[in-house]
Amino acid sequence: MAGLNPATFILPSAGKEVPLALAPYADPTTTPILAAPPHLPRRRLRVRGTSITLLKEVRERAQADLGFDVDYELMDFITCQRQAAMQPEGYDIYEQCFHNLDIVWFWGALQPIDTQRIADWDKITDLSKEGGISKYAWRGHGDAPVRKLYVQPGGFLGPKQGRYISMLPTVHNRDSFGFDTRVFGNGEIKRPSWAWLLDRRAKGRIALVDEPAIGFFDAALAAEAAGEVQFTDIGNMTIAEIDGLMTLLENRRRQGYFCASWRTGEEAAELLLQDRVSAQSMWSPVYGHLGQMAEVFVESAPIEGYRAWHGGASLSRHLAGAQLDMGYEYLNWWLDGYAGAVMARQGYYMSAPERTKAALAPEEWAYWYEGAPAARDLFGPSGAVAVKAGARRAGGTYQDRANRIALWNTVMEEYNYAARSWDRFIRRVNEGQK
Amino acid sequence: MNPRSSNPLAQEPRYELITQVLRSNIQSGQLPLGLVLLEGPIAALMQSSRIPVQAALRTLSMEGLVHRFVGRGYLVGPPNEDIAPLRCDVGAFDLKIPQQVDDALQTRGTWKHFYDEVEEEVALCQVFGEFRIVETELADYLGVSRTVVRDVLSRLQERGLIAKNASSHWIAGPLTARTLREKFEVRAIVEPAALRLAAPHIHYSQIEAFRNRIGTDPTLKPEGLEAALMTYCIAKAPNTALVEMIQTNQMLLTSVNRALTGLGLPEDEIALDQYRTLFDLIVRHPIDSAAEYLRDHLHIMAAKNLARMKIVAVISETVGFAPYLAPQ
Repeated sequence: MAGLNPATFILPSAGKEVPLALAPYADPTTTPILAAPPHLPRRRLRVRGTSITLLKEVRERAQADLGFDVDYELMDFITCQRQAAMQPEGYDIYEQCFHNLDIVWFWGALQPIDTQRIADWDKITDLSKEGGISKYAWRGHGDAPVRKLYVQPGGFLGPKQGRYISMLPTVHNRDSFGFDTRVFGNGEIKRPSWAWLLDRRAKGRIALVDEPAIGFFDAALAAEAAGEVQFTDIGNMTIAEIDGLMTLLENRRRQGYFCASWRTGEEAAELLLQDRVSAQSMWSPVYGHLGQMAEVFVESAPIEGYRAWHGGASLSRHLAGAQLDMGYEYLNWWLDGYAGAVMARQGYYMSAPERTKAALAPEEWAYWYEGAPAARDLFGPSGAVAVKAGARRAGGTYQDRANRIALWNTVMEEYNYAARSWDRFIRRVNEGQK
Repeated sequence: MNPRSSNPLAQEPRYELITQVLRSNIQSGQLPLGLVLLEGPIAALMQSSRIPVQAALRTLSMEGLVHRFVGRGYLVGPPNEDIAPLRCDVGAFDLKIPQQVDDALQTRGTWKHFYDEVEEEVALCQVFGEFRIVETELADYLGVSRTVVRDVLSRLQERGLIAKNASSHWIAGPLTARTLREKFEVRAIVEPAALRLAAPHIHYSQIEAFRNRIGTDPTLKPEGLEAALMTYCIAKAPNTALVEMIQTNQMLLTSVNRALTGLGLPEDEIALDQYRTLFDLIVRHPIDSAAEYLRDHLHIMAAKNLARMKIVAVISETVGFAPYLAPQ
């Protein structure tokens, strides 16, 4: 789940004044130079988010289309959640995931979004708005994003539809782990299982993503698939179940199963490029950056199903007046197609796929959404080849993958307890490295 | 227990005394605009723990005499005035401490005086996990005998804040969502029942007076209304066993709530409206409708408290724990 291009992170300096005629989008041959005033402060929208959506390609196009500056403040997942909750004055737009709303919304950092001001609200799919791709589709354990979508009386969030929402649903995906075919075979004879993430064959070469609503569930899916623990409801564990899982992980750690944890896609790619892992948590964009390792390290389509997540964009509590209007312009722009196409090229789906389809080449759409073999080499967001001609997306079509959601990233009732236990475990994993 | 001092201020809570000292020194200009106020040095100066200093700074912040800024601590002066931080030792400013206040800060012997501080520290630590309370350390920390410490501990046990484990150690926490949910489930069962029993004995005029203050008196907080509901309605039920059970069940929730608010968690603004409706129903309608509403209100409070238990996860453990609390 990361944009791996470091050029993404260049921020324009805060409050900088740029002559209107020299603004980056203005062509001096066609744009009349205004007589007065000579200097106007550029309008500016500040976006705080993660590597999921804060890509250079998105920002540059948004600025050009919208005619105001878009500043990006890129953070790792845990830091972003904390800063968004506790310092809402520091940003105008917050881009992260629905499960983070359990923290950020309830700190009172955000304001409701009026769906009547979202032109393409009707084009957003049922997975985002209803909770499943069809009435009969299995919803998955944990909190489907729809359960955090609509603002309910009393300031709660819930699935009952209404005019106001907490976060505009945008990008989403179903994650799995990646594995080394030299160790586990190519997955055709023996189909991949989350149990491989705790498998003896990968001992000493396993890494987990350090995020207590994400990596924690990778480990939980692995432990249950391996038959080591059983959860009554994996999406809302009891204290005893959390303790059972953490004891298992600690035992494996002592036996030397884990080599590292990571927080960003760059770190995940680095572990692979150094050939240090045989099985690990993975985010889709990382597969496009593995070089030669892409031959041996592949994405799984686990028999137990996927761990899904859903991202979006929210309005900071303090936005009002003209600044709020800019916020809505930016939200509407997100559904307009271009951003969805950039997201697709790093393996992510868009909540309003129609316009995304129009913005993608037919062979890109066929590969990413329809599970067809790549008709040619396909490029990632930054223009480097991400998919070789002939390759197929693991897990198949959008529909197939959506039907196999085992669990959503979730902030459980006992999140505080689980997150603190998880932090202690990760600290020991990282210290053990030294 | 030591005899109480004849100083009238000795009965004042410590945070109140510290608030008075800081307030008068800010107003007189003894503490200059922009001075960075840190809990530790003030606590040392006042011979107090940090907890009452935190409370005092929060009060002064609400009064607009100090404000939070991007760094650690508070700045002297009203917010939004772009005052540059001035970092020096607060001890260098020769704080004026009235003799009576100074005496009161020095001569606090009885366990009741420091009980609140200990309770807040013990309630707070549970959010972060399981802690053992080391009796000898607590005695050293408070500068009192083991006997006094046992008084404190048995009161904490009564309130459900600590329990003894298999090896007879005092253990606090961990506070879990399950504990909160169970306590609210009990409340939703017994409190509406007590309200029905209490109907003939309720102090209706008091409840009406509180109801009229909602929306007009900005100092009125949900905690105050909850206390009024307890005092003038529920505690009037002619069944002491039931009332005691309700009070005991609420104790942990009250201390935890105070601890979480102390960590800076947002307060509940919507609860005031619910109390207005509830008090209207109590005063003007058959008690059954008020009892039904109370049950719904407690379900909503449970959901809010569970939501609060999640958001506290972003608070890191750098708050620092008292030396008598040993992480397990």
